[in-house]
This record gives sequence, structure tokens and C-alpha cells, in this order.
Amino acid sequence: MKRQAVLASATALILGLGLGSAQAQEKTLTISVYAFAQDEYKKMLYDPFEAQCGCKLVVETGNSVERLAKMEANKANPVIDMAVISMADALQASRAGLIDAIDTAKLTNFDKLYDIAKDPNGDGMSVGYTFYATSIVYRTDKMQIDSWADLLKPEYASHVAFPNITTNQGPPALFMLGEALGQNTPDLKAAIEAVAERKDDIVTFYVKSSQLVQLMQQEEIWAAPIGRFSWAPFTKLDLPLGWATPKEGQTGGMNVMVLTKGTKNADLALQFMDYWLSTEVQTKLAEALVDSPANSEVVVPDEVADNITYGEETASSLKLIPSAVALDNRDGWLAEWNSKVGQ
Amino acid sequence: MFQNRAEAYALALPAAIFAAIVFLIPVGLLLSEGFRSAQGWTLSAFVDFFSQPLNQKVFLRTLKLGVMVTAAAAVIGYATAYAIVSLPPGAKGRMIGLVVLPLMISPVARTYAWIVILGRTGIVNQALMLVGLTDEPVRFLFTETAVFIGLLQLFLPLMIISLISALENLPKDAVPAARILGANWFQVFWKIILPLTREGLIVGGTLVFTGSLTAYITPAILGGSKVLMLETLLYQQVTVANNFVAASVIAFLLIVMSFSANILLRRIATARNRK
Repeated sequence: MKRQAVLASATALILGLGLGSAQAQEKTLTISVYAFAQDEYKKMLYDPFEAQCGCKLVVETGNSVERLAKMEANKANPVIDMAVISMADALQASRAGLIDAIDTAKLTNFDKLYDIAKDPNGDGMSVGYTFYATSIVYRTDKMQIDSWADLLKPEYASHVAFPNITTNQGPPALFMLGEALGQNTPDLKAAIEAVAERKDDIVTFYVKSSQLVQLMQQEEIWAAPIGRFSWAPFTKLDLPLGWATPKEGQTGGMNVMVLTKGTKNADLALQFMDYWLSTEVQTKLAEALVDSPANSEVVVPDEVADNITYGEETASSLKLIPSAVALDNRDGWLAEWNSKVGQ
Repeated sequence: MFQNRAEAYALALPAAIFAAIVFLIPVGLLLSEGFRSAQGWTLSAFVDFFSQPLNQKVFLRTLKLGVMVTAAAAVIGYATAYAIVSLPPGAKGRMIGLVVLPLMISPVARTYAWIVILGRTGIVNQALMLVGLTDEPVRFLFTETAVFIGLLQLFLPLMIISLISALENLPKDAVPAARILGANWFQVFWKIILPLTREGLIVGGTLVFTGSLTAYITPAILGGSKVLMLETLLYQQVTVANNFVAASVIAFLLIVMSFSANILLRRIATARNRK
């Protein structure tokens, strides 16, 4: 009797294991994301999605260069089902034939997105899930910023930290500077030239925005172009600081979702994307200050809105560098910058 | 010790294989990148690299700062080390402890402290304005001066420690003997101390020079992109431009410069000795 019970339970166990693994094999979604705020994502996105779909999520993280290289290497036999990358990287992946068009009809939340996020590259290969504004943080008691070109005024330039061309904020800031100078060509030549004329005055060409808070506190700088996601620590300084709304508008960047070409889990990946874009998830991520929402139905309290990129008005005022311009000119910008500003 | 050489080689073999697999071969592969092209072996990557004015400037700046930091460290190091070895044993131990202490603090923290000290509202500028040397705060941050100060502070302990161990091996009566025989302090240093402690100077000098060439954090934080050095340029080439050929050219240059410094220092030291 006892022996039979042991046998029976062992059989059940083996069967269960077999079933379990068969099921897991059927429904595993592998995603590739930025290695940031993973605890929050797990709580607000991954765990609830696993519970909902009865599937298993495998999360791979890394910076975009690494992750794109990995996708390229596994092109013939994709490991990743979906990835989140920058807008320009999405175009690069699309040109390299690494991603598939997204069937937005299967995304129930697609219509809720701000227009800017619906098809950022205009090729149907990506959907924006978050974006950020880039503008200028400045000392309201020391200066007045109405235009991007004000940064280079002789009386201001020696109190400005400008983003290096190698940062995410560098090209957008130059893009807007070109706009302000009335010479916004894709090669950013006029803007780089204008910065080069003031390069000895400008305090530094920053690489890490985290450094700026200290420089601002030490009164080393009065102004710097930054991404909205770096804004919160400045508000905690005991200084009169403002977020400029230059007449040329604000710039910024956007991160998008892409679907790997040849994935066997396209439907599950779309289900996951749809869940990520839902008002519920986007609200939670916004409230935790993880990602600014691309879903226009998200409503957050003022203290949250102040710290993220939020609202119809902001979204429609963002002038982003077109991905094709960024991709085709990146090397040229760096060369131009290094020869004019770098030395 | 060993009955034959074969036995000694056999014992060294595992370590040699390990070093070859995890160090020599990868480094060789990395460096060979700079000499490879679609047509075969070539020096064109080096020609390209040096044809750009920015790269020439960064190369010369790195060399200049390396030499300046090493020279300054040697001057300060000899004085400090000589003072420390002349102390009674207890005090000597405590002083060596103080010299070593900064090495136990992360270079990031040490370098960050300079941002506060050298800032517009920092202690250096406050002192300068107090004594009336300047009316406006002087800009130190993000200049070559800041990088020089940062690197010197970072690597000076290595020079002092090397010179202390060298000076400790100096025969106790060598200096008094020379003085009694009429040598002035300059002659004592040049003819007695320097030749007898040259090993310490070579070790210390190589450590400081190599360290200054290859330091990344200090030039990155205190110099930023306005004061690019080879190391920060290398980082830029890899992470931004994705140009591994240029990066391996820089890596090759850094290795060659380090070895040359060692050989050069050895030459200088032995040349003095022969006279």
C-alpha cells in the first residue's frame, strides 16, 4: 500500500514535471531591455504579465550596442522575441533586416498612444513606449533663456556645461541650436561651428549628467541642456532653477519596441507589448518615475508630472532628430566635433 | 636548486600556459587589429591615426602630462622618502602608513574630492581671493592643471614607497662619509643617493608614468572632453565611434610608451652609474 502510494506520487511528480516543462517550452517569451529599474519593471510589468499569460518571461539586459550586436549575431536563429531600443537603433535594426513589421491591429492600446509614438520612424517597424524631453536647466536669478542660442551669449557661455557629442543629449541640443541659428542642416555644421567659437568659455562638455548636479551646486555652472529624466535631483537643490521652454521648442529622444524577425512567439510578444502600453502599466511606471508615458490616457498627480515628460502639449512640441538623419550622420558629427571642438 | 633546467621549465609550464591563454594571446590579437586590413598587414591605421590633428594633440598631451607628473613625483618623492627613512622606526611606520592610506581609497572618491577643492567656491579659490591674488575665481576644473594635480596625487604614493625601500638599502654611512669628504648636498644626491637608489627610481618612475598614461577616471572627471587623453580617447573610440582599429592603435601606443619609459629610465640610471 505504502509502496503503491510512493510509486503513484512519483509517477504524478514525473508527469507533472514533464507537463510543466512542456508547457514552459510552449510559452516562453525572451525580451531584451535596458539594464535599468529592473526591480520596478519586475513588480509592475513582468510579474503581472506572467500571471496573466501563464507564460515565462526571460529578461536579457545590457546597453543598446551590446544588445544590437547580439541580435545581429543570432540573426539566423533568434534568441530574443522582442526588444526595446532607441528610435535610431530601431532604424538601424530595420535596415539590417533584424526586425519585422508590427501588426498594430493586434495592439488594443495602440490608439491611445500620442501621435509621436505611434510609428516613430514611419516604417511600421516600431512603436514608442516612452519618450523624454530635452531642454535647458538654468539659474533663473542669473540668466534668461528664451532661445537655445542664448546659451552661447558671451555673458552666459562661461557658465554653461554643454553635452558632449557622444552623449544622448549632445546631438539633440546641437540640432536645436542649429534651429535657433536658422541653419539646421543634417550635418549640424553651423551649430558645431557656433559651439567651437565658444569652446574655451564653456565650462565643460559633459559626459555624465549626474555630474551636473554637483557643478550646479558649486555654482560652477548656471545652465546645461539635460534630459527631463535628470531633472528631479536639481529640484532638490536649494537654488532658483528653472526648466526652459525655448521658442524653438524642446527636443528629446524616444525608446521603442521592436519585434525580432523570425521569432516563433510573435503573438505572445505582441500581447506583451500591448500590456506594456496599457494605461494601467504605463501609469504605474510613470508614478514610479521609471518611464514617461506614451499612452495619452495616463493621468498622474502634479508632483509626478513635474518630474517626467508628460502631457499632450509637451508631446506635440518635441522636435526629435529623425532617425535616418541620426544614423547617416553620426560618424560625420563626431569627426566634425572632434576637429572643431575636441582640440 | 633544480637538477636540470627541464625540471624548472616543467614547473613553470602551467603558469606559462595560463598566462599565454588568458593574457598574451588575447593582447596579441587585440594589438594585431591595428595592423590588419583587407589587403593584409599594414601600417595604414597608424598613418590615419596620426594624420588627424586631434589625435596628434591628444598623444602629445598624454606624453607631456605623463612626463610632468613623473618628474614632479620624483622630486617630491625623493624629499619625502629621505625624510621618512631618517625617522625613528615607530614614526617611520606611521608615516609610511599615512603615505599608503590614500591608496586604500577608491580613485573615484579621491578624484571627486578635487572637484570640490578646485571648484569656483572651493578652498583653493577662496584662499587665492582672500590673499588678493585674484578677484575672480580662477578656473581650474576641466583644465590640464586639474588633471596634472589629480594624477600627481593619485600616483605620488607609489613613487614614495619605491624610493623608501630603495633608500633603506642605502648604506647608513654613505651620506655622512660623502659630506665629511667635502661633497655638497647637490653632489651627495647626484653622485651617491641617485646611483644607489636608481632601482627605486626606475620602479617608481615606471609605475607613475604608466599609471598616468593609462588612468581613465582622473582625466575623465577632472579634464573631461576638453582635456582628452589617449585613455579617454580610446574609450570614446570604442563606445561611441565603434572604431576598434583606432582603439587598438591607441592601446598599442600606450603599451609601447610604457615599455619605452621603463627602458629610458633604466638607461638614464645606468648611464649615470658608469661615469
